[in-house]
Amino acid sequence: MMLALLLLPALIMFGVSFIKKEKAKYLLAFTSFVILLPIVKLFLLPKPYNILGSYLVADKLDTYVLLVSSIVGIGVTMALLTLDKHVKVSPNAYRRFYRFFAIFWVGLIFSILSNHMGIYWIGLELATLSTVYMIKTNYTPAAHKEAWNYMIVGAIAISLVLFGIILMYASAKPILGEDAMNFDLLLAHAKDIPSPFLFEMGFAVTTIGMFVKMGFFPMNLWLANIERASFYPVAALFSGILESAVVIGFFRFSKIAMAVNYDHLFIFVFVYTILTIFIVSFLIYRAKDFMRLFSLSGVEHMALIVMFWVSGAPFAALLHFGAHAFLKPALFLSTGVLESNGKYRIAGALRGYKGVKGGIFWFLVSLFLLAIISLPPSPMFFSELYGFGAMIATAKESDHMLAMIAAILFLLILLSIIFYRFVAIYQSMKYEGVEKEKTVYGSELFSLVIFAISLLVLLLPQTMSFLRSIS
Amino acid sequence: MIDFLIGLFLASLIVALFTTRLYRLLLWYSLNSLTLGLLALGIGKNIDDSAMIITGVVTIVIKAIAIPYVLKNLSQKFHFVRQITPEIKVQYAIMLVPAILVFTFYLSEPIVHMIHTNANYVAISISSLFLSLLLMMEHKNVAPKIIGFLSMENSLFLLGVTATDGMPMLVELGIFFDLLMAIVVINLLFHKEEMRV
Repeated sequence: MMLALLLLPALIMFGVSFIKKEKAKYLLAFTSFVILLPIVKLFLLPKPYNILGSYLVADKLDTYVLLVSSIVGIGVTMALLTLDKHVKVSPNAYRRFYRFFAIFWVGLIFSILSNHMGIYWIGLELATLSTVYMIKTNYTPAAHKEAWNYMIVGAIAISLVLFGIILMYASAKPILGEDAMNFDLLLAHAKDIPSPFLFEMGFAVTTIGMFVKMGFFPMNLWLANIERASFYPVAALFSGILESAVVIGFFRFSKIAMAVNYDHLFIFVFVYTILTIFIVSFLIYRAKDFMRLFSLSGVEHMALIVMFWVSGAPFAALLHFGAHAFLKPALFLSTGVLESNGKYRIAGALRGYKGVKGGIFWFLVSLFLLAIISLPPSPMFFSELYGFGAMIATAKESDHMLAMIAAILFLLILLSIIFYRFVAIYQSMKYEGVEKEKTVYGSELFSLVIFAISLLVLLLPQTMSFLRSIS
Repeated sequence: MIDFLIGLFLASLIVALFTTRLYRLLLWYSLNSLTLGLLALGIGKNIDDSAMIITGVVTIVIKAIAIPYVLKNLSQKFHFVRQITPEIKVQYAIMLVPAILVFTFYLSEPIVHMIHTNANYVAISISSLFLSLLLMMEHKNVAPKIIGFLSMENSLFLLGVTATDGMPMLVELGIFFDLLMAIVVINLLFHKEEMRV
């Protein structure tokens, strides 16, 4: 029953997307709101809640990620209402976008709620394939090229994930049989896996596949290029929802890998994420447009989330994840207005906003921009504080305290490069360039307000204690 | 018989790497999928696993017949370039292929010790994965890249069949469903391109 309720809004959206009337677009946006209802109901139910036997099981982590994703979905569909005011988009492309958005949701629900490695992969693949066509809704040669790029690189990444899953399954099949695909059972029997090396090898391959999908080293720019070529709501979906489905998979796989051999997992992921942040910080320093800037910043935040998670700070990772999921789509959606004078014009982008709507817009965008560089009281400030604290606490229990301090100092230097760049960009947006009047539409503003409220909710003590209870 | 089929699987993939005509490439992909399906049928019969037998039949129907047929139709509908010359010269590719095979056998040696049944097949499926990646890399045209992606999926299927004696039926069917979805998306990507022209 719960599964039917979860899937129903997506199926309605799929059906409505075939209606060719102008008013259908409001109905499509409304169905996106309806998605939230069963998710809230699921969120309030006692956990763990079996949705489909042992295949789909909702726990606190699942429902948190799903709730965050559904809020992002609502924000994105609100901004979509006025997409045609900023860019050229045909009604056909608009309807097709929603058709694939509905398929995307189905894939997403399966991957986020799955307690089964195979179903997780199937859901992720479905979500990935449906986003390919969303890139193509922008009828430009660049978008066409990037859609193919995404198809091919995404396929390679997702194949690596499946490759790793097969190895992990093979490692545990002698003791668990076909249930070796089950996350819970794997975690419970992690110490009994007869070939831990095979499992670790599978985990490493799966992780590399996921990291490629998230734009980690060495594929740092592919996601940024795709987000640049596609419409900004698509970029918002990528950073706010699709990456959530990838990262929840990483959380699940890494929990088992931690039980198998924590030291191996930690060294592998820690070095990988530091390398990613090292490269991304310099790419951010050189970024000359909003989309690439936000996209690369998204990669940096995903790397931090992964790093905090493996460093024994799941609370910090989840807080950072929530903040990233709300902030990045908000900024991507605001690029539609910020780029009113051209794609590569950063100077003066925050000037020329008149009236109440304009005033609220530039105030919110300023807040979001300063929040992603972790200025207090941004949730990212607290998550980084807790995250680095946990890293020190983890190092205390080992013989590598000095190495950890050196790593944190190195990270702080890299983060300061990003901080410097964002502050310079903000100043250029606010105080340089020519002032030209820009229009902000109600629906866009509404979506930004939704994200701002969600960020405030993240800071509530009740939310913090909920996140602690997950970890 | 299984050894013969697995040899044929690898051989069809290697020949596909040197193919310069699109329809011939589709034929090699079809043969590759056919051997994979027969392999699943053979192993399924040996271990008396009806799920693997069903998977083998579905593989033959979808991958060996339906997908090459759809791709051939697409190529005619959208006038694909049928001359597909690989970017890597034959003399280099001919050295690269055995190097990949030797490297993957060396790479998979620690894994092979842990898998008791069909251990060598695991090494072959990993090398097939690398060869499929090479197929994607050595062509600039989209069509051979799609075949490379589909061959990669075949290699993973082979790994699933050999390393684990078959994945759960639900997962196999899900993978087939995703594959069909991929074909739909590929079709749409080509379709929109034609509309623009």
